[in-house]
Amino acid sequence: MTQYHLAAICFTLFSLATAGFLTSGSLVRMLMFLELMLNAANIAFVALGSPASQAYALMLFAIAAAEAGVGLALIIALASTFKTLEAGNIKELKG
Amino acid sequence: MMITAAICVFGGLAALATLLMIFQRNPVKAALLMLAALLATAGIYLALSAQLLAILQVILYAGAIMTLFIVALTVTPAAWRDKPGPALIKRVIGLAAAAVILAELLKLSTALKAVAASPEFSETGTLEIARLIFGPFVFQFELLSLIILASIVGAVALTAKRRTAQ
Repeated sequence: MTQYHLAAICFTLFSLATAGFLTSGSLVRMLMFLELMLNAANIAFVALGSPASQAYALMLFAIAAAEAGVGLALIIALASTFKTLEAGNIKELKG
Repeated sequence: MMITAAICVFGGLAALATLLMIFQRNPVKAALLMLAALLATAGIYLALSAQLLAILQVILYAGAIMTLFIVALTVTPAAWRDKPGPALIKRVIGLAAAAVILAELLKLSTALKAVAASPEFSETGTLEIARLIFGPFVFQFELLSLIILASIVGAVALTAKRRTAQ
């Protein structure tokens, strides 16, 4: 197994998550796929194999947690304003 | 050999769960499929000798972040989740864009074919991570606490604003 195979696994996961992000209409689902994209990037970090890359992956975990918290707070605030979770129904900038 | 097989199996599982998630209309079932993908990722970390990251993946991603998603799905009324289903053209364009991204990434990384991965299992990775985090990376690590504090304040501010608006 070479690094190429490991990278191919990460890239496949990343592009599958991208496909989900681009084809889903719901805000919560989009955030879920965003987390999966970050997760795939994290695997790529760990697959490099050095301890420094693992340390960076550890820090990315904390970033992912912060991002999920703020993202969901934003989504709940948006949903209560617009009474919808579908991204297509949110069209006005002035809430 | 064993480790290579484990990486392939867990990678395939994660990819399968993500693929099924794309076609799952029920958001709670989609969240459970995401959980499967995250647990498979923990398996990949374990096979790559990143034991600490595997444990953190289960606790943080599959535990904390997953709970956040389930809570967000349950506090929003089901009527808001009106799902007309995205238009066919949007789906086709999205899938095509993802395929182009995958092809480009694979094309760019062909140079990696010459680099051999180190599939042997080691148990001392965590000690090295600790030395790095509390050594050269200590500034970044401390900065992370500030980021998490900012995110907590931001989340509370957003929710408090919603309460006053009602």
